[in-house]
Parts: sequence; C-alpha cells; structure tokens
Amino acid sequence: MNFDFTEDQHEIKRTARDLLTKRSGFEQIREAAEAEAYDESLFKELCELGWAGIAVDEQYGGAGLGVVELMILCEELGFSLAGSPFLANAIGGLMIEHAGSDEQRAQWLPGIATGEATATLALATDGVAAVVPDADGAAVIVLVEGDSAVLVARGDAEVEPLTTIDPSRRYARVTASGGDPLPGDVVGGLARAEVALSAEMVGVAQRSMEMAIEYAKERKQFDTPIGAFQAVSHRCAQMLFDTEGARSATYFGGWAADADESQLALAAAIAKAAASDSAHSVTNSSIQVHGGIGFTWEADVHWFFKRAQLDASMLRSASTCRALVTSITAASLASAGGA
Amino acid sequence: MDLTFNESESSFRDELRAWIKANHPGEEPAGEDEGYAFRRDWQRQLYEAGWAAVHWPTEYGGRDATLVEAAIFNEELARARAPFPANVLGLLLAGPTLMIWGSDEQKQRYLDPIMSGDEIWCQGFSEPEAGSDLASLKSKAVRDGDDWLVTGQKVWTSGAQYSKWCMLVARTDFDAPKHKGLTYFILDMEQEGVEVRPLRQITGDPEFNELFLENARIPAENVVGGEGNGWTVALTTLMNERAGLAFGLQVGMKVALDELTEELAASGKLNDPLVADKLGELHIKCEILRLTAYRGLTATMKYGQPGPEGSLTKWMWSQGNQELMQFATEALGPQSLSDGSAWGRSLLRSRGNSIEGGTTEVLKNIIAERVLGLPRKK
Repeated sequence: MNFDFTEDQHEIKRTARDLLTKRSGFEQIREAAEAEAYDESLFKELCELGWAGIAVDEQYGGAGLGVVELMILCEELGFSLAGSPFLANAIGGLMIEHAGSDEQRAQWLPGIATGEATATLALATDGVAAVVPDADGAAVIVLVEGDSAVLVARGDAEVEPLTTIDPSRRYARVTASGGDPLPGDVVGGLARAEVALSAEMVGVAQRSMEMAIEYAKERKQFDTPIGAFQAVSHRCAQMLFDTEGARSATYFGGWAADADESQLALAAAIAKAAASDSAHSVTNSSIQVHGGIGFTWEADVHWFFKRAQLDASMLRSASTCRALVTSITAASLASAGGA
Repeated sequence: MDLTFNESESSFRDELRAWIKANHPGEEPAGEDEGYAFRRDWQRQLYEAGWAAVHWPTEYGGRDATLVEAAIFNEELARARAPFPANVLGLLLAGPTLMIWGSDEQKQRYLDPIMSGDEIWCQGFSEPEAGSDLASLKSKAVRDGDDWLVTGQKVWTSGAQYSKWCMLVARTDFDAPKHKGLTYFILDMEQEGVEVRPLRQITGDPEFNELFLENARIPAENVVGGEGNGWTVALTTLMNERAGLAFGLQVGMKVALDELTEELAASGKLNDPLVADKLGELHIKCEILRLTAYRGLTATMKYGQPGPEGSLTKWMWSQGNQELMQFATEALGPQSLSDGSAWGRSLLRSRGNSIEGGTTEVLKNIIAERVLGLPRKK
C-alpha cells in the first residue's frame, strides 16, 4: 500500500508545473480568451516534449506510460488553465487505444501521439453532440452513444464552432451520421477519459483554492486580514475538504485504470462525480472569498469557475455517476450475498 | 502508486482474519456494564493471542505493525463486526503518549496492563469551562511534600467508572501563560478524592461521566513529560486520537451503508431515483474517506508523525456518518425510529460525531491555520 507518486511521476509533475508557470500566466490566458484563439506555439511545445503521446503505446509513437502519468499532466493543465487541445486529444486517444481495432489504432494513434492529427471525444444523442471540446481543429471525433462509439473523420462531420461561457477553450457542436464503430470496450474507454477529465477539474479546484487563500491573507477589512474571520477561513477549509476528496477519488481512478480493471467502473464514476461537484463548489467559493473584485472580468478567478462548469458538463454528469455508483454497489452486494 | 496490500500486509490480514473467525465472541450483550465486561474479556483474548496492540513496538509487547497493518487491524475488526477492545483509550492514547513522554519506570509499570485490559484508562482533559479552548482548563494541582493534590472538575470522561488510571491535565502554574502552566499526570482513580458521576447521553446511555476531584493525591513520579510541559504532552495524545481511529470508523460507516443498501434494494426503494442519487452520494463520501485516510497514512509513513490532515478525515467521517443515519431513517420510514430498530439509536449516537474528539468547528480552525496557513482567528 503506497498512495504516492513514484519519483519519476513527481518529476513529471514538477516539470509540467515549471513549464506552464513560465509559458502560460494569466496574461496569456486572458489574451487567448479575448482573442478566442489558442497560443498555437504552446501546444506545439507540449507535443515536442512528448506530452500528447504520454499514455499512447510505444508502437504508435507514444511514451507508453499510464493513465496515472496522463492524469498528472491533466491536473497541471487544469491548474494553469493553459489553452490547448491537449485534454480533448488525450481523451479521444484513450478511447481509441482502449476500444479501437488494430486498424483504427494504427490509423489514428500516431497523429494523436505527436499532436499533428488530434482527436476529441463527446457523448452524443442520435448523432448530435451539443458541445464538443476542440472539435473544429481535430482530425477525428469519437462520439459515444450508450455503450457504443463511432469514429468520425473531421471531414465527414458537420462541425459548428460555438461560443460557450468558457472562453478558455474552443468548443463546437458536432453532427454526424454513420461513422466507423469501435469494436472494443467502450465503457472502459469512457471510464479512462473520465479520470483524465476529473484530473483537470482537480487542478482547476486546487488553483482556485490557492488564489482564494492568498487573497484572504492579504485583503484587509476592519484592519484585519479577512482570512482571520472564521466565516471566511471555514469556507477555505471547506475548499480543502472538497479538493482533497476529489483528488483522492481521481488518483484512485487513475491507479485502477492502470492496475486493477475490476475496480475501474466504480472508481471512475466516483471520481467524475466528486471532481465535478468539487470543481463547482470550490470555484464558486473562490469568487465569494474575493468579494466584489471576484465578480469582475479583471480578476482571474472567473476563468476557473467557467472551466469548471464546462468540464463538469462533459461526459457523464455527476448525477448519472451517482446513480451508477448505487447500481454497481447494489449489484456487487447482491452477488456477494447470493454467492 | 500501489493501492494493493503487499505480501506481508496480505499475510498479516489473512492471519488476523482467520484468528477473528475462530475466536469471534459473538453479539455484544445489552446493557452498559454487561457490554463493557464483554469487551474486556475480548481484549484479554486479543492480548493472549498477541493482537491487542499490534501497532506497539515489540519491546512493549506489540507486533511492531506498520501503520498500514494497524489500519488493516481496525478494518478487519469492523468488517467482522467484532467489538473494539474495552481499553481503547489506553491502547490508542495513553500507551503511545507514555512511549514518547514516559520515563522507563512508567513504561515498565503501565504499558502491559494497558494491553491486557487489566487496568483501564480514561482521559481527563475537558472541563465544564474548557472544551474547545482546552488550554484554559482550571483544575489545580498543588505540591504537598512529594505529592501533588488536585482539585477540580472534568467532564465527558468516557469509561471513568471502569478505570484504574486517568490521563489528567491540570494547572500547576497559575502565573504562566495558559499553555505553559499545565502538567500531565497519571491519576489513580481508586481513591477518596475522586468521585465519578454518570452523565446520560441523548441516547439514554451513560457512556461518559463527570469527574469531581477534591484533593486527589498524585505522587510526583506520576508526572509525564515534566512539570509545565502538559500542553505539549496532551497534543501528542490528541494527534493520536484523530489519526488512529479513522479506519475502523470508515469501515463501520461502510458496513452500515451496505446494510442500508441491501434493505432499500429488498424493499424496492432503490428504484426511486432520488433515493439512488443520495445513496450514491453517501457511497462516494465513504470511499473518499477511505482513500483520503490511506493517503494520509502514506504521508505519515514518509514524513513521520500524523499531521493536521487527520483533522480532514475526522471531519469527513463525522459529516458522512451523520448524513448516512439521517438519510437511512428518512428512507426506511418511521418504523426505523421505533423500538427494536438499531437505526434510530445509531441516528442519536451519530449526533455526537461532529462534537467528540474535536468539534468540526475546531477542526476547521486547525485546517485553516495549520494546513492552509491562514492568519489566526479573530
């Protein structure tokens, strides 16, 4: 039993934090959000470092590491909020790698690993996915309906760019008919994608919390730092409670994806539910702690609040995941009782 | 990251599981005194088989179990619905405190009877005027030759009616700042100056007591950690209190949650999406508590003593368990609040969870100040 990263994994985390701190501060995030365009050179740089292919098998040009390493990068990208198609490409890649045929893997994973032909993933109903991250620039779009999924090449899909409440990422509405079905374990692929998405939300929550704490230490009212008032400090303690809880659940999901498939379905549902709820509550609290200034465009806390809203809305919702947790648990109790 | 048990952890668990299965004492009898005697016998059984204090070093009769193995011990006990040993405060609090602060003579004298349950311990910290603000306590100890004489009042003293010894914190210097003037004593409960009065809880049970001290005599060699050092010694006890129990408590919550899930499934109530949603939320909270406790344990093994993060798991448990009991009685209906249902009693008992062992409000202060580094409260 060891619930800690390896030295190599800690090193990935440190490297990512250093690079993203240097390359993507709030000035760059604001610029990208207001221009509704990414800093293309940043994604290129991440790809040159091999990040895009971190969890892609070596035979397709990836680094062949696990969901845990990918999760570490996703958390750091959520923490920095750097704009790029990284997450969309990563979750599309996880699904193709896990549920795709050999031909589908050979066709798409090399481009995903280098970032030269990116993927994305979304839930769809009758061929329509209302909000898909980074679909416009993607080479391939994976649409999941129930327990099955199809690959749609960008050219075969109707992609309408959208403005959402989160200007830090590009989204689009996708309509497609037909597509190339994935023959493998779509549910397992979706669970892996949800762990990666949850990790981004943990990073979003962590940064929002740190910003609130920093502000609560500096901002004075009644000649006192507001963080000395329990109404404020207890809210901050709640932010830690929520963030650490989501982190425990998400790391467990990453571990299950790499080491114990039998626990993954439950672990991913727990992670997605906990991370969604925590991202909502922590980013909400962070604005509250900042007071009036937190409600202005100038203060940077709102970027996290907005990203949290879109992230939580993607893939299966928290309430869907809670229902799933109950049904998985009830079924396993019934089979244990019957055995 | 490796969230499985390694070979020695697995064999520890298997050996323990087999032993509990062969020696399970059965259902605890009703009644406070009968239950206590039952748990005392159970502890004697554990002691004789070498399971009473697995986390203690072998030199004091333990198994030198790792923190993970100690967690497994609590998990397995709870999973088998076996009782916790009677002298839980001695095993989790007094023993570890004496190992750090006690003299060689004290360790020699007190540790073994703690383990066997021959001598039960209670904790004399809180007072009517000193609850969350523990350092403001007023019980007064004055020198009388080679002895100390203590006068004052303690409250919430669980198990005092069965105890031979009390971990007592009293003020020995009234001129020093409040944290500095305290001394930690071992008080003999079997003497004239000590009076124990049962205090009935909202469950109707007298699980805890008031303690009245009138010139109770303590020999000088029963000071622990030196005169005036009582606050620091008491903190060791409190840290152990929050760190040690998390696993047993988590499994206790999980066992209740699984029982509830089965009852709701059997009655068809799980088909109500609102019931399924809330139940899912509780399973998520329970699992997060388990995982966070394991993360804390990894951190403790890597960096030393249990840290203030233990406050987080205690808070998670108390909140989760209270929500569970409230939801259970709501979902199961009024019969769960009437005679013969354990849920009603568990609901009442759970109300104390966010107060005992540090109120949630105090835990939030600890997290804000010591984990987040926010300025001290106004």
